[in-house]
Order: sequence, then structure tokens, then C-alpha cells
Amino acid sequence: MDELGVIASVLYQFGTNAAFLLLCALGLIVILGMMNIINLAHGELMMMGAYTATIVYQRGAPFWLSVICAFVVVGIVGAILERLVVRRFYGRELGALVVTWGISLILAQGTLLLLGPFMQAIPIPGGNFAIGQYSFSDYWIGMIVLCTLLIVALWWLYNRTEIGLQARATMQNATMARALGVNTDRIYMLTFSLGAGLAGMSGALLAPTTSIQPFMGQQFVAPAFITVVVGGAANVIAGALSSSLLLSLVKTPVGFLVGAFLGTVALLLAALVIIRLIPDGISAPIQRWLDRDVRAR
Amino acid sequence: MSDQKKMIDQVTPVVETKDSSTTGDSGLKRRDLLRNAGIGGVAAGLGAATYLQGFDRGRMRALAQDDGPVKVGFIEDESGNLAVYGLQKLHAAQLAVKEINEGKTLKGDANIGAGMVGVLGKVAKNPPVISKEGTALDVVNDGGPQDSADLVFDEDDDILIDSGEQGVLGREVELVSADGQSNNAVWQQLARRMIQQDQVDVLVAGFASAEREAIRPIVDQFKQLYFYTNQYEGGVADANTFCTGPVCEQQVIPTVQYMVQNFGPNCYTIAADYNFGQLTAAWTRAFIPLVGGNIIGEEFIPLSVSEFSQVIARIQQAKPDWVMTLLVGQNHHNYYPQAAAAGLKFPMASTVNMAQGYEHKRFPPPSLANMHNAIQYQMEVPTGRNRAFVKRWMEMFPDDQYIGEMAQNTYFTIHLYAKAARLAHTTDQETVRKCLELGWGLEAPEGSVFLEPGTHHCAHPIRLAYCDEQHNVSFLRDWPMIQAWWLQRLGVNLVRNPEYKQYVPDEDPYFSFV
Repeated sequence: MDELGVIASVLYQFGTNAAFLLLCALGLIVILGMMNIINLAHGELMMMGAYTATIVYQRGAPFWLSVICAFVVVGIVGAILERLVVRRFYGRELGALVVTWGISLILAQGTLLLLGPFMQAIPIPGGNFAIGQYSFSDYWIGMIVLCTLLIVALWWLYNRTEIGLQARATMQNATMARALGVNTDRIYMLTFSLGAGLAGMSGALLAPTTSIQPFMGQQFVAPAFITVVVGGAANVIAGALSSSLLLSLVKTPVGFLVGAFLGTVALLLAALVIIRLIPDGISAPIQRWLDRDVRAR
Repeated sequence: MSDQKKMIDQVTPVVETKDSSTTGDSGLKRRDLLRNAGIGGVAAGLGAATYLQGFDRGRMRALAQDDGPVKVGFIEDESGNLAVYGLQKLHAAQLAVKEINEGKTLKGDANIGAGMVGVLGKVAKNPPVISKEGTALDVVNDGGPQDSADLVFDEDDDILIDSGEQGVLGREVELVSADGQSNNAVWQQLARRMIQQDQVDVLVAGFASAEREAIRPIVDQFKQLYFYTNQYEGGVADANTFCTGPVCEQQVIPTVQYMVQNFGPNCYTIAADYNFGQLTAAWTRAFIPLVGGNIIGEEFIPLSVSEFSQVIARIQQAKPDWVMTLLVGQNHHNYYPQAAAAGLKFPMASTVNMAQGYEHKRFPPPSLANMHNAIQYQMEVPTGRNRAFVKRWMEMFPDDQYIGEMAQNTYFTIHLYAKAARLAHTTDQETVRKCLELGWGLEAPEGSVFLEPGTHHCAHPIRLAYCDEQHNVSFLRDWPMIQAWWLQRLGVNLVRNPEYKQYVPDEDPYFSFV
């Protein structure tokens, strides 16, 4: 029974670590992969998602509805930001970097001014169950399942829909896609909006496990960037998934056996080694392999 | 007319400095001269005066600004990871300054010595339980019928009395405050600005120990009178610094003793990975064998960590009798709801959590259930003087949710400074420092505090706060006064032997005794 408990606990830790990294990174990697824009306001978009969800939840809405609201609201915010600011910086990566950083400062300080330093947190939905001496939170199990569903949904969106096809075409060669009648402007706006919405939703999903305050986004930025850099931007879905799984595979055993601090050290070392060996990220060889498959046919 | 006044301001220092130069102030170095010329040049616009300003700057400053306000420099984190504490402390400073300017002061005098006023106590079978809702300090459970053989708790009068003047020495007190943004580099810039540009008469600043250590060299460079109001790991022996918060020996030992007696010997420590967490954990490790306990696991967590599933699994694996949580900042506070969601039910102890970041009000129950903390203050302290203090605070800041341990320290510290300056008849920093070194007994909302002259630390009343399943708070045990004895044990006496360092446990055989 106790062996079963240990195995379940390690799997659970592996799943929660991977889910946490994936949720942090998803919105960021969509924007980076499709638009080559490093969005430094990512953490603040997650913060807005958490605030939206908390406000909606406190008005009496069920938790799932507040998560959807966060997705929609932050998605709209993303679309507005893209129209007003970000679109002026396409092709100027450093300019985009600085302008999104500026946006992040405005969003965080603006929230502090408007809504004050704190908000009462959402209680974590669901209870817990035990196997042996280990107990597990229902909510995190739900998050692991939800992350899997999210990946499937994204894959479907990119590979099985018209808009996904246009998005991939724009990503590969924007000029050619325009020549073939794809409205790349609209694709960019939708992509940025989707990335922002995903960030908002992730923020909402992580909101019950954290304290709701204007600078909360910062805690997600480092894990998000590490995951994205390790995953690379050649293939958004494969990159995010493989990177979060691999990093969790390194972090979980070290963190469990030695401690949280060295777990984080191991994660950073792994990221360092991977970036040294595969500078374009794990998704680059995956994409090459996929392409070879296509050419052979 | 204002020109005339300026003239006098400029002339007076010159005369004054000539005096001090003939009496032979020899500590002046060439570098200091240049530096002071640089600083003062703008303000005075007169070469001679600024050259001479290197002498006895404090006294000159006091004379030159006799008509201006008394400036209390104040730095805390109003934004960033530590804002949860900084905003409380800012409001505390604003309240204290307002009261001083309205002619109020706290009871207390120089030279009284450690001790409490005679206890005006009520007794009951159990201590009263204070509701977690709102700030009215409603009593949920009064502890049963009162009985002469049971627990004593205070219900005394308010401690705020008339000071006899508005402000200090007839001058208005002005709070010069700035936001440290939870960033050590910003702290250093602000400390320099306050000391050199704003020329504050006293500096009250510092949350994290890293922040204090970042600005302390600057404080010492300019011999700035400095108050550090935080609860911290202890050991700062600095002639320019007064530490008014409680330290490890006042909190760790009562907490550990209570936990081992009531829940068992095996303790698992999780602590923030910087000097505060490391050193407080070292205290726990050193003391626990003396009461028959032992540490079965210890883990230090970087301040950036906010996801705790692995830490929780490791605690479950270790199966301790109780968990010592020394977690700092908003990222770390996420441990409590996450541990509760994962079904972790071990009794918890702390010297920081609940009393400072009011996690029991910010997180839904039962995240903080079964938390124990030997505090010197938290908002629920069940005394009449504290109720009056909380009421005054909430009248000024009706939107505030909590008054934490260090907010109260900031409040009484600024009152203490005003009393000392009043007795010294000057805001000259050297004189006020000497006046503080008379030793001060002060009636603070927490109870009677004694500023011990030799170590510049305070003796505090300590209470064991307990958070129940509903997050209501009661106080299970009461130590009327605990000395900050560790620096005394090391032989620190800042009055006779000024030092400017922080002692660490490695320097004391106490920590390798067992």
C-alpha cells in the first residue's frame, strides 16, 4: 500500500509540475511561436485573468464560469493591445520587447492604483483524497486533465480548422500567405488575442492556489520563459508539451528526494544543457522530423 | 524677510562650526570634506559654510532647520512581493505622526527599566476567542465564566495621553516616505537620498533582513540615527541602529517549547531561503534538543517559489508531529491554501506567519487551522489599550483589513523617537541617540516595551497566538516580558563599545552546545 502511495505521489508531483509549467507557458509560446514577439506583459495578462476570475467568482458565479470569463476578457484586452500598440512593432523584436515591458508596468501599477494591494483569494475547489500516507488535491488532478484537454484543443485548432491552416501559413511565410489571400493582419490579431486569452485563463486556473495581488504575475514569468525557451518556437504545441514534460521529469525526482531548492536548480541546469545542445529548442528537431515525414510522402 | 531668514540660516552654522573647529574635532578626512562640499554646495551656495559643514553636522543641521519640520525618513515596500507588510507599516507611521502633531504621546519614560505595570487582569477558564471577521475584534467565545484560578488577560486603559505640545519641540513632524519596491538596489538609492538630500532627522525603515543589510552600511557611513522596526533573526549590534522588533530568542524558544510539550518532539522546518529563514531555522535547531525535541526535516525555499506540491509530499513522507513554517512574502503564502487542499493537517508553528501577513484573513479556512505563533503583537491582542489603538487606526484608515506585528512596532517606534527628542531638547541625532541609550519604558498597544540601552533591542511581552479551524484567534499563553538576551550573552554593549556588525549563531557556542 505504501509503495502504491509513493508511486502515486511521484506521478502526482510530476503531473502538477508539468501542468504548472504548461499553464505558465501556453499563452507566451503561442504569441512567440506565431508572431516572433517576446511578450513581457505575459505575467500581467495572467494577473488580469486571476483578477477577472476572482471578481466574477465573488459576484456569485461558479468557478468554471469565472475561468471562461477570464479567457474572454483577457482575450479582448489582448486584441485591443494588439490593435493599439503591438502591431506597430512587427519585425522589430527589441522594440516589441520594450513596449510589452512598458505595458506590463502600466498594467501592474494600474491594478495597484485601481484595486488596491490585495483581493480575497478564491478557495481551492474540490477536496482531497489519500493513498497510504500521501494525500492529493482534487483540484490539481483536475488541472492535469484540463491541461491535456487544452493541448488537444489547440492541436485541433491549428491542424483541423481553416483559421489554423491560415495561421500556420502566416507563420511559415507571411508574404506568400498574403499573396494567396490570407488576411495576415487579422491572423496576427487573433493570435495575440488567443495568446492573451490563454494567459488569462491560466491565471484564473492558478488563482485559487495563490494570493491575488497586482504583482502576482511576476512569479509565473520565469517558469514561463524557461519552458518556452527550452521548447522553442518551431512547433508551438509540441514545444510547450515536450518542454514542460521534460523539465518536470528532471525537477520532480530531485525535488522529491533532495528538496524544492535543488529541484529548481536541477530544472535550471537541465534548461541550460538543452539550450546549449539544441539552441532552437526541443520543438525544432520534432518539426524537422515531422517535415521529413511530409516530404517523403 | 525670507531672504533675511536664509542669511541667518547660513551665518549661524559658520559661527557654530568655528567653535567646534577650535575645540578640535579631529575626525575629518579629506574625502569627507570633498563629499560634504558636494552635498552642501547646492543647499547653501556658500563655499566656506559647506567646507565647514564637515564638523558636527548633526548639530548644525538641527540649528539650521530649527524652524522647519522634524523630518522622519521612512522607507517601506509599498509595491512588490513584500507590499503586504509595507502598506501596514506606512499607515502606522502616518497614524503616529498625526498623533504627535495633534499633541499626543504614548505613556512611558526614560530610565524606568524592564517590567510591567501592575496587571489589571480578568480571568477565565479559557482565553477569549477573537473573530476573524472585520476589524471590530468581536469576541466569539469569552472563555466561560470567570474564575479566580484561571488564565489572566489584560483589559486596561488606553495608553495615548497628551504630550503637552503639538509636534516635537514646537516643530511639526513631517513624514518623508518612499517606496522601496521590494528591491534592495532601490532601497540603497532611497537611503542615500533621504540621508543626503532630504537630511532626515531619523530614519525608520526596513522589512526584509536583506533590505536592512543593504542600507545599514549607508546608515553607518553617515552616522544616521536609524530604527529597524521588524521582527527579525537577531544579532544586529550597531551603534547607529535601534531594533525595536522582537528577535529569535523572544519568539522561537517559547513557540518551540509549547509545540514540543503539546504536540510531540518531531519537527519539520520549512523556511524562506535567505538570512532570516536560515538563521531562525538555526535557532530552532539549536533550541529544540533542550526541550527534548528534534528536527526530522528541514527545507529552505527560494522566495520566488509559489508552487508547493513537492514540499507538501516531502512533509507527508516525513510524518512530523508539527511543522515550523517560516515563510516570507506573497509567493510563499500560497503554501497554506495548497497544503490545506492537499489535506495536510499537521499542527503548525511560526514566528512570522499570521501575525504579519494575516494569512488567516486572506485565505479561506481551514488554510491556517492549528497555527501557533509566539507573537509580540497582532491585531487581535485582547486588551483594552489595543482595542482603543485598533479603533483609532480604523478611524483613520477605514479600508484597512489588518494591523500586523511590525505595523504596531513602527507606530510605537515613531512615538518613542518623539519622546526621546523631546527629552533631549534637540533633534541632533547624536544627542537623541544618547538620550535613547538612557533606556526607555514605553506603553505600546502590545503592552509594556523596554528599550535596553546596551544592545539597542527591546524586551517585549510575548503571547502565544492560536488560529482555530474557523480562523478565529485566541491567545493560549502569556509571557509578560521576555528579554532580547542573546546580544547581552555575547557581551555586546553599544554604549561603551560601539560596533557596526551583525552577529550570527556560528559565533556563539550556544549553537553547538548539544
